[in-house]
Amino acid sequence: MENKEDNKPATVVEVVDQGPLGIKGSFILKDLKRGSESKPGEVWLCRCGKSKNKPFCDDSHKKND
Amino acid sequence: MGNNKSFSGGRRYSNDDITVYWKPSACIHATYCFRELIEVFDPGRRPWVDMKAAPTDRIIEVVNMCPTDALTWKWNDNEKNKDVPQDQTNHVRFRRPELLDDEIAVNEVRPVVVKVMVDGPIVINGTFDFDNDGTRKEVKDSLISVCRCGASSKMPFCDGHHRKIGFTG
Ligand code: FES
Repeated sequence: MENKEDNKPATVVEVVDQGPLGIKGSFILKDLKRGSESKPGEVWLCRCGKSKNKPFCDDSHKKND
Repeated sequence: MGNNKSFSGGRRYSNDDITVYWKPSACIHATYCFRELIEVFDPGRRPWVDMKAAPTDRIIEVVNMCPTDALTWKWNDNEKNKDVPQDQTNHVRFRRPELLDDEIAVNEVRPVVVKVMVDGPIVINGTFDFDNDGTRKEVKDSLISVCRCGASSKMPFCDGHHRKIGFTG
């Protein structure tokens, strides 16, 4: 793993309270709905269902809950 | 990472030199492994085998004591597996020759795969750190399913509600 030496995890998944799901590091993103595959290194994925730019967060969760 | 994996019928554990295969269905609980080397074989710990806790030759010695093929081992360098001496009783060559053709590189690290499911959750598979509610824990060779529709009552995880609300996206 790239980061083994300094003991950092290769991939971190973070649930942001009242916000998106952040994923950082080494991973493969497969969007089965849109049929795409990538290795973005960092993404913020929508968890509220309201984003206009799915699967990504566009801050729609901040508008009137 | 990547040194503790499943294979058909059990799990395998690797250090730089060897891979130890564990086949639970064959274990008769003779207890040699943990009486001899609790540092490596600790039934009370998960994962119960720690390949870093003793030198390779000592691990081989103890695996060879197992009276069944519940524990077997092989060199990671396949060349070295070709003529292992008979006294290496639990080498896979004598006990489970089918494992010699086990092609998957033992130190291969499976990439983390994040799948955005059609009108459903985010499924993350692999070994990664998971930060939730201010606590971080390691998810090891496993998967989680995170709600994407906003309607789950088991947040942040998917509980199937996306179907009920007809989530699309
Ligand atoms: S995506 Fe399954 S409950 Fe929200």
